[in-house]
Amino acid sequence: MRPDDLKFQKSHEWCKVEGDTATIGISDYAVSHLSDLVFLDLPDVGSTVTAGESFGEIESVKAVSNLYSPVTGEVIESNADLGDNLEWLSEEPFGKAWMVKVKISATAPDLMDGAAYDAHCKAEG
Amino acid sequence: MLVDEPGDAAHNMAVDTALLELATTPTLRIYGWQPHAVSLGYFQKIADFDDLPEDTVFVRRATGGGAIHHGDELTFSLALDAHHLPGDIAASYTLLHDAIVRALAKVGVPCHRVKSDKQPAARPSDRWCFKTPVAGDLVTDAGKLLGSAQRRARLTNDAGESRNRVLHHGSLVLTRPSHTPFVAAVADHVTPTGDLRRELHSALIAELAKVLALEARPDKRTRAEESMAAKVSNEQFGNPAHLHRR
Repeated sequence: MRPDDLKFQKSHEWCKVEGDTATIGISDYAVSHLSDLVFLDLPDVGSTVTAGESFGEIESVKAVSNLYSPVTGEVIESNADLGDNLEWLSEEPFGKAWMVKVKISATAPDLMDGAAYDAHCKAEG
Repeated sequence: MLVDEPGDAAHNMAVDTALLELATTPTLRIYGWQPHAVSLGYFQKIADFDDLPEDTVFVRRATGGGAIHHGDELTFSLALDAHHLPGDIAASYTLLHDAIVRALAKVGVPCHRVKSDKQPAARPSDRWCFKTPVAGDLVTDAGKLLGSAQRRARLTNDAGESRNRVLHHGSLVLTRPSHTPFVAAVADHVTPTGDLRRELHSALIAELAKVLALEARPDKRTRAEESMAAKVSNEQFGNPAHLHRR
Protein backbone atom coordinates (compact mmCIF):
# COMPACT_ATOMS: atom_id res chain seq x y z
CA MET A 1 0.00 0.00 0.00
CA ARG A 2 1.42 3.36 -1.00
CA PRO A 3 1.10 6.17 1.54
CA ASP A 4 -0.67 9.32 0.28
CA ASP A 5 1.86 11.79 1.60
CA LEU A 6 4.76 10.93 -0.71
CA LYS A 7 6.29 13.06 -3.45
CA PHE A 8 7.94 11.53 -6.50
CA GLN A 9 10.58 12.31 -9.09
CA LYS A 10 10.38 11.36 -12.76
CA SER A 11 13.37 9.10 -12.14
CA HIS A 12 11.16 7.08 -9.71
CA GLU A 13 12.52 8.05 -6.31
CA TRP A 14 10.00 8.93 -3.61
CA CYS A 15 10.44 11.17 -0.61
CA LYS A 16 8.44 11.71 2.54
CA VAL A 17 8.99 15.06 4.22
CA GLU A 18 8.51 15.32 7.98
CA GLY A 19 9.66 18.64 9.43
CA ASP A 20 13.12 19.28 8.03
CA THR A 21 13.80 15.60 7.28
CA ALA A 22 13.17 13.75 4.01
CA THR A 23 13.05 9.95 3.89
CA ILE A 24 13.98 8.73 0.39
CA GLY A 25 13.47 5.45 -1.47
CA ILE A 26 12.46 4.12 -4.90
CA SER A 27 8.95 3.29 -6.07
CA ASP A 28 7.35 -0.09 -6.67
CA TYR A 29 7.26 0.82 -10.39
CA ALA A 30 11.05 1.25 -10.40
CA VAL A 31 11.60 -2.00 -8.53
CA SER A 32 9.43 -3.97 -10.95
CA HIS A 33 11.35 -2.60 -13.95
CA LEU A 34 14.77 -3.26 -12.48
CA SER A 35 14.16 -7.03 -12.21
CA ASP A 36 16.33 -8.96 -9.76
CA LEU A 37 18.38 -6.69 -7.53
CA VAL A 38 21.90 -7.70 -6.56
CA PHE A 39 23.76 -4.70 -5.14
CA LEU A 40 23.05 -1.33 -3.58
CA ASP A 41 25.46 1.50 -2.85
CA LEU A 42 24.20 4.28 -0.55
CA PRO A 43 25.97 7.41 0.71
CA ASP A 44 27.58 7.58 4.15
CA VAL A 45 25.96 9.42 7.03
CA GLY A 46 27.35 12.95 7.10
CA SER A 47 27.75 13.22 3.33
CA THR A 48 25.84 15.77 1.28
CA VAL A 49 23.33 14.98 -1.46
CA THR A 50 22.05 17.40 -4.08
CA ALA A 51 18.57 17.57 -5.58
CA GLY A 52 18.53 16.06 -9.06
CA GLU A 53 21.97 14.51 -8.70
CA SER A 54 22.96 10.90 -8.06
CA PHE A 55 23.08 9.86 -4.40
CA GLY A 56 23.64 6.15 -4.94
CA GLU A 57 23.58 3.26 -7.37
CA ILE A 58 21.68 0.01 -7.61
CA GLU A 59 22.54 -3.08 -9.64
CA SER A 60 19.95 -5.47 -10.93
CA VAL A 61 21.05 -8.46 -13.00
CA LYS A 62 23.78 -6.85 -15.14
CA ALA A 63 22.41 -3.28 -15.12
CA VAL A 64 23.65 -0.44 -12.93
CA SER A 65 21.19 2.43 -12.42
CA ASN A 66 21.78 5.74 -10.69
CA LEU A 67 19.54 6.89 -7.84
CA TYR A 68 18.70 10.61 -7.88
CA SER A 69 18.03 12.69 -4.81
CA PRO A 70 14.76 14.65 -4.57
CA VAL A 71 16.33 17.01 -2.02
CA THR A 72 19.56 18.76 -1.14
CA GLY A 73 20.96 18.29 2.33
CA GLU A 74 23.00 16.20 4.73
CA VAL A 75 22.51 12.44 5.06
CA ILE A 76 21.59 11.82 8.70
CA GLU A 77 20.69 8.13 8.39
CA SER A 78 21.35 5.39 5.84
CA ASN A 79 19.46 2.08 5.78
CA ALA A 80 22.50 -0.10 6.42
CA ASP A 81 20.47 -3.33 6.52
CA LEU A 82 18.89 -2.84 3.11
CA GLY A 83 21.94 -3.90 1.09
CA ASP A 84 21.80 -7.38 2.61
CA ASN A 85 18.02 -7.58 2.31
CA LEU A 86 17.25 -6.32 -1.17
CA GLU A 87 14.04 -8.35 -1.24
CA TRP A 88 12.62 -5.64 1.04
CA LEU A 89 12.47 -3.40 -2.04
CA SER A 90 9.90 -5.75 -3.58
CA GLU A 91 8.09 -6.40 -0.31
CA GLU A 92 7.85 -2.88 1.14
CA PRO A 93 9.33 -0.27 -1.21
CA PHE A 94 7.62 2.54 0.72
CA GLY A 95 8.31 1.06 4.16
CA LYS A 96 11.30 -0.84 5.44
CA ALA A 97 13.11 -0.42 2.09
CA TRP A 98 13.70 3.30 2.67
CA MET A 99 17.24 4.22 1.65
CA VAL A 100 18.40 7.44 3.31
CA LYS A 101 17.12 10.19 5.58
CA VAL A 102 18.30 13.68 4.72
CA LYS A 103 18.21 16.94 6.65
CA ILE A 104 16.71 19.17 3.97
CA SER A 105 18.26 22.44 2.87
CA ALA A 106 16.43 22.56 -0.51
CA THR A 107 13.91 20.49 -2.45
CA ALA A 108 13.80 19.71 -6.18
CA PRO A 109 11.25 22.04 -7.84
CA ASP A 110 9.50 19.43 -9.95
CA LEU A 111 8.37 16.80 -7.44
CA MET A 112 5.02 15.16 -8.24
CA ASP A 113 2.17 13.97 -6.07
CA GLY A 114 0.98 10.36 -6.38
CA ALA A 115 -1.59 11.03 -9.10
CA ALA A 116 0.85 12.95 -11.30
CA TYR A 117 3.45 10.24 -10.75
CA ASP A 118 1.03 7.51 -11.79
CA ALA A 119 0.30 9.44 -15.00
CA HIS A 120 4.05 9.75 -15.61
CA CYS A 121 4.54 5.99 -15.16
CA LYS A 122 1.65 5.28 -17.53
CA ALA A 123 3.18 7.56 -20.16
CA GLU A 124 6.56 5.87 -19.75
CA GLY A 125 4.98 2.48 -20.40
CA MET B 1 27.21 3.85 -36.10
CA LEU B 2 30.91 3.83 -35.33
CA VAL B 3 33.38 1.08 -36.20
CA ASP B 4 36.63 1.63 -34.29
CA GLU B 5 40.03 0.00 -34.40
CA PRO B 6 40.87 -2.03 -31.28
CA GLY B 7 41.75 0.38 -28.45
CA ASP B 8 43.12 0.28 -24.93
CA ALA B 9 40.82 -0.54 -22.04
CA ALA B 10 40.52 2.90 -20.44
CA HIS B 11 39.96 4.57 -23.81
CA ASN B 12 37.31 2.02 -24.78
CA MET B 13 35.30 2.58 -21.61
CA ALA B 14 35.75 6.35 -21.73
CA VAL B 15 34.45 6.59 -25.30
CA ASP B 16 31.34 4.66 -24.29
CA THR B 17 30.74 6.97 -21.34
CA ALA B 18 31.13 10.02 -23.60
CA LEU B 19 28.57 8.50 -26.00
CA LEU B 20 26.20 7.75 -23.11
CA GLU B 21 26.39 11.35 -21.94
CA LEU B 22 26.67 13.31 -25.17
CA ALA B 23 25.45 11.39 -28.23
CA THR B 24 22.34 13.03 -29.64
CA THR B 25 21.37 10.08 -31.85
CA PRO B 26 21.25 6.37 -30.98
CA THR B 27 24.84 5.19 -31.42
CA LEU B 28 26.11 1.68 -32.04
CA ARG B 29 29.87 1.40 -31.66
CA ILE B 30 31.87 -1.71 -32.61
CA TYR B 31 35.38 -2.09 -31.26
CA GLY B 32 38.03 -4.41 -29.85
CA TRP B 33 40.74 -4.50 -27.19
CA GLN B 34 44.45 -3.91 -27.74
CA PRO B 35 46.09 -4.89 -25.50
CA HIS B 36 43.71 -7.59 -24.32
CA ALA B 37 42.24 -6.74 -20.92
CA VAL B 38 39.99 -7.85 -18.08
CA SER B 39 37.03 -5.58 -17.38
CA LEU B 40 35.37 -5.77 -13.98
CA GLY B 41 31.68 -5.20 -13.44
CA TYR B 42 31.04 -1.86 -11.76
CA PHE B 43 30.55 -3.31 -8.27
CA GLN B 44 33.18 -6.06 -8.32
CA LYS B 45 36.20 -6.18 -6.01
CA ILE B 46 39.64 -5.99 -7.61
CA ALA B 47 40.96 -8.19 -4.76
CA ASP B 48 38.95 -11.09 -6.16
CA PHE B 49 41.30 -11.14 -9.17
CA ASP B 50 44.63 -11.30 -7.31
CA ASP B 51 45.39 -14.68 -8.87
CA LEU B 52 45.65 -13.34 -12.42
CA PRO B 53 49.13 -12.64 -13.88
CA GLU B 54 50.76 -9.39 -12.73
CA ASP B 55 50.79 -7.91 -16.21
CA THR B 56 47.01 -8.28 -16.64
CA VAL B 57 45.42 -5.03 -17.80
CA PHE B 58 42.31 -4.24 -15.76
CA VAL B 59 39.56 -1.67 -16.12
CA ARG B 60 36.37 -1.12 -14.10
CA ARG B 61 33.35 -0.83 -16.41
CA ALA B 62 30.46 1.58 -15.88
CA THR B 63 28.09 -1.31 -16.49
CA GLY B 64 27.11 -4.10 -14.13
CA GLY B 65 27.62 -7.86 -14.15
CA GLY B 66 30.73 -10.02 -13.85
CA ALA B 67 34.27 -9.72 -15.20
CA ILE B 68 35.15 -10.40 -18.83
CA HIS B 69 38.52 -11.33 -20.34
CA HIS B 70 38.45 -9.34 -23.57
CA GLY B 71 40.63 -11.17 -26.06
CA ASP B 72 39.70 -11.77 -29.68
CA GLU B 73 36.10 -10.64 -29.55
CA LEU B 74 33.61 -8.37 -31.22
CA THR B 75 32.67 -5.78 -28.61
CA PHE B 76 29.83 -3.38 -29.13
CA SER B 77 28.20 -0.59 -27.19
CA LEU B 78 24.82 0.92 -27.76
CA ALA B 79 24.19 4.39 -26.31
CA LEU B 80 20.66 5.65 -26.71
CA ASP B 81 17.65 7.26 -25.07
CA ALA B 82 15.79 4.76 -22.91
CA HIS B 83 12.55 5.08 -24.89
CA HIS B 84 14.14 3.14 -27.75
CA LEU B 85 14.21 0.05 -25.51
CA PRO B 86 11.60 -1.66 -23.32
CA GLY B 87 11.54 -0.07 -19.86
CA ASP B 88 11.79 -3.49 -18.27
CA ILE B 89 15.49 -4.34 -18.21
CA ALA B 90 15.02 -8.06 -18.82
CA ALA B 91 12.79 -7.27 -21.82
CA SER B 92 15.46 -4.96 -23.24
CA TYR B 93 17.98 -7.80 -23.10
CA THR B 94 15.53 -10.12 -24.85
CA LEU B 95 15.00 -7.65 -27.70
CA LEU B 96 18.72 -7.12 -28.30
CA HIS B 97 19.73 -10.75 -27.78
CA ASP B 98 17.17 -12.04 -30.26
CA ALA B 99 18.61 -9.64 -32.84
CA ILE B 100 22.08 -10.99 -32.15
CA VAL B 101 20.88 -14.59 -32.49
CA ARG B 102 19.65 -13.71 -35.99
CA ALA B 103 22.92 -11.92 -36.86
CA LEU B 104 24.96 -14.94 -35.75
CA ALA B 105 22.73 -17.32 -37.71
CA LYS B 106 23.51 -15.32 -40.86
CA VAL B 107 27.22 -16.18 -40.48
CA GLY B 108 26.64 -19.83 -39.57
CA VAL B 109 26.79 -19.69 -35.77
CA PRO B 110 23.79 -21.32 -34.11
CA CYS B 111 23.00 -20.11 -30.60
CA HIS B 112 19.93 -19.53 -28.49
CA ARG B 113 18.68 -17.49 -25.58
CA VAL B 114 18.44 -19.31 -22.23
CA LYS B 115 14.82 -19.59 -21.27
CA SER B 116 14.43 -20.42 -17.63
CA ASP B 117 11.85 -20.10 -14.93
CA LYS B 118 14.58 -20.61 -12.40
CA GLN B 119 14.99 -17.67 -10.02
CA PRO B 120 18.40 -16.06 -10.53
CA ALA B 121 20.67 -16.19 -7.49
CA ALA B 122 20.39 -13.17 -5.20
CA ARG B 123 23.97 -12.33 -6.10
CA PRO B 124 26.07 -13.39 -9.11
CA SER B 125 27.46 -16.82 -8.33
CA ASP B 126 30.80 -16.39 -10.09
CA ARG B 127 33.26 -13.55 -10.63
CA TRP B 128 33.32 -14.23 -14.38
CA CYS B 129 30.40 -13.03 -16.50
CA PHE B 130 30.63 -16.06 -18.80
CA LYS B 131 30.86 -18.78 -16.15
CA THR B 132 27.22 -19.32 -15.22
CA PRO B 133 24.62 -18.47 -17.88
CA VAL B 134 21.37 -17.07 -16.49
CA ALA B 135 17.96 -16.61 -18.10
CA GLY B 136 18.23 -14.43 -21.20
CA ASP B 137 21.92 -15.14 -21.91
CA LEU B 138 23.03 -16.32 -25.37
CA VAL B 139 24.59 -19.78 -25.32
CA THR B 140 25.71 -22.60 -27.60
CA ASP B 141 26.28 -26.22 -26.63
CA ALA B 142 29.78 -25.17 -25.52
CA GLY B 143 28.69 -22.46 -23.07
CA LYS B 144 27.93 -18.77 -22.96
CA LEU B 145 28.78 -16.86 -26.15
CA LEU B 146 27.82 -13.27 -25.39
CA GLY B 147 28.36 -11.12 -22.30
CA SER B 148 25.94 -8.22 -21.82
CA ALA B 149 25.60 -5.44 -19.27
CA GLN B 150 23.94 -2.05 -18.94
CA ARG B 151 24.19 1.30 -17.22
CA ARG B 152 21.04 3.41 -16.95
CA ALA B 153 21.12 7.09 -16.07
CA ARG B 154 18.96 10.19 -16.17
CA LEU B 155 21.10 13.00 -17.54
CA THR B 156 20.28 16.70 -17.43
CA ASN B 157 21.92 19.19 -19.79
CA ASP B 158 22.83 22.83 -19.11
CA ALA B 159 19.39 23.92 -20.34
CA GLY B 160 17.76 21.75 -17.66
CA GLU B 161 16.42 19.18 -20.13
CA SER B 162 16.54 15.58 -18.87
CA ARG B 163 16.99 12.37 -20.85
CA ASN B 164 16.80 8.80 -19.61
CA ARG B 165 19.81 7.12 -21.17
CA VAL B 166 21.02 3.55 -21.56
CA LEU B 167 24.51 2.24 -22.26
CA HIS B 168 24.39 -1.41 -23.32
CA HIS B 169 27.62 -3.39 -23.60
CA GLY B 170 27.95 -6.61 -25.58
CA SER B 171 31.02 -8.89 -25.80
CA LEU B 172 30.81 -11.57 -28.45
CA VAL B 173 33.63 -14.12 -28.17
CA LEU B 174 35.37 -14.87 -31.46
CA THR B 175 38.26 -16.97 -30.12
CA ARG B 176 38.30 -18.44 -26.59
CA PRO B 177 40.44 -16.25 -24.23
CA SER B 178 43.02 -17.78 -21.86
CA HIS B 179 41.57 -16.72 -18.49
CA THR B 180 38.06 -17.93 -19.31
CA PRO B 181 38.43 -21.23 -21.21
CA PHE B 182 34.85 -22.21 -20.30
CA VAL B 183 33.27 -19.77 -22.76
CA ALA B 184 31.73 -20.60 -26.13
CA ALA B 185 33.25 -18.97 -29.21
CA VAL B 186 32.32 -18.12 -32.78
CA ALA B 187 35.47 -20.05 -33.75
CA ASP B 188 33.77 -23.27 -32.56
CA HIS B 189 31.61 -23.02 -35.68
CA VAL B 190 33.35 -20.84 -38.27
CA THR B 191 36.89 -19.53 -38.65
CA PRO B 192 36.93 -15.83 -37.73
CA THR B 193 38.68 -14.60 -40.88
CA GLY B 194 38.69 -10.96 -41.88
CA ASP B 195 35.78 -11.59 -44.24
CA LEU B 196 33.80 -13.34 -41.53
CA ARG B 197 34.36 -10.45 -39.13
CA ARG B 198 33.13 -7.97 -41.71
CA GLU B 199 30.07 -10.13 -42.41
CA LEU B 200 29.39 -10.33 -38.70
CA HIS B 201 29.69 -6.54 -38.32
CA SER B 202 27.19 -6.03 -41.13
CA ALA B 203 24.77 -8.62 -39.80
CA LEU B 204 24.94 -7.22 -36.27
CA ILE B 205 24.38 -3.66 -37.45
CA ALA B 206 21.47 -4.67 -39.68
CA GLU B 207 19.68 -6.78 -37.06
CA LEU B 208 20.12 -4.27 -34.22
CA ALA B 209 18.91 -1.43 -36.45
CA LYS B 210 15.89 -3.51 -37.41
CA VAL B 211 14.71 -4.22 -33.85
CA LEU B 212 15.30 -0.62 -32.85
CA ALA B 213 13.43 0.62 -35.95
CA LEU B 214 16.42 2.79 -36.87
CA GLU B 215 18.37 3.32 -40.06
CA ALA B 216 22.09 2.57 -39.68
CA ARG B 217 24.56 5.02 -41.15
CA PRO B 218 28.30 5.52 -40.59
CA ASP B 219 29.17 8.39 -38.30
CA LYS B 220 32.12 10.01 -36.55
CA ARG B 221 32.49 11.10 -32.97
CA THR B 222 32.02 14.81 -32.36
CA ARG B 223 34.82 16.96 -31.02
CA ALA B 224 32.96 17.22 -27.70
CA GLU B 225 32.68 13.42 -27.46
CA GLU B 226 36.41 13.03 -28.22
CA SER B 227 37.29 15.65 -25.66
CA MET B 228 35.12 14.09 -22.95
CA ALA B 229 36.48 10.62 -23.75
CA ALA B 230 40.05 11.84 -23.27
CA LYS B 231 39.15 13.47 -19.95
CA VAL B 232 37.19 10.49 -18.62
CA SER B 233 39.92 8.07 -19.72
CA ASN B 234 42.48 10.06 -17.79
CA GLU B 235 40.46 10.87 -14.67
CA GLN B 236 38.29 7.77 -14.29
CA PHE B 237 38.89 4.59 -16.26
CA GLY B 238 42.67 5.00 -16.46
CA ASN B 239 42.91 6.12 -12.85
CA PRO B 240 44.11 3.38 -10.44
CA ALA B 241 41.92 4.89 -7.69
CA HIS B 242 38.81 4.12 -9.74
CA LEU B 243 39.92 0.54 -10.37
CA HIS B 244 40.73 0.01 -6.67
CA ARG B 245 37.65 1.76 -5.29
CA ARG B 246 36.28 -1.68 -4.37
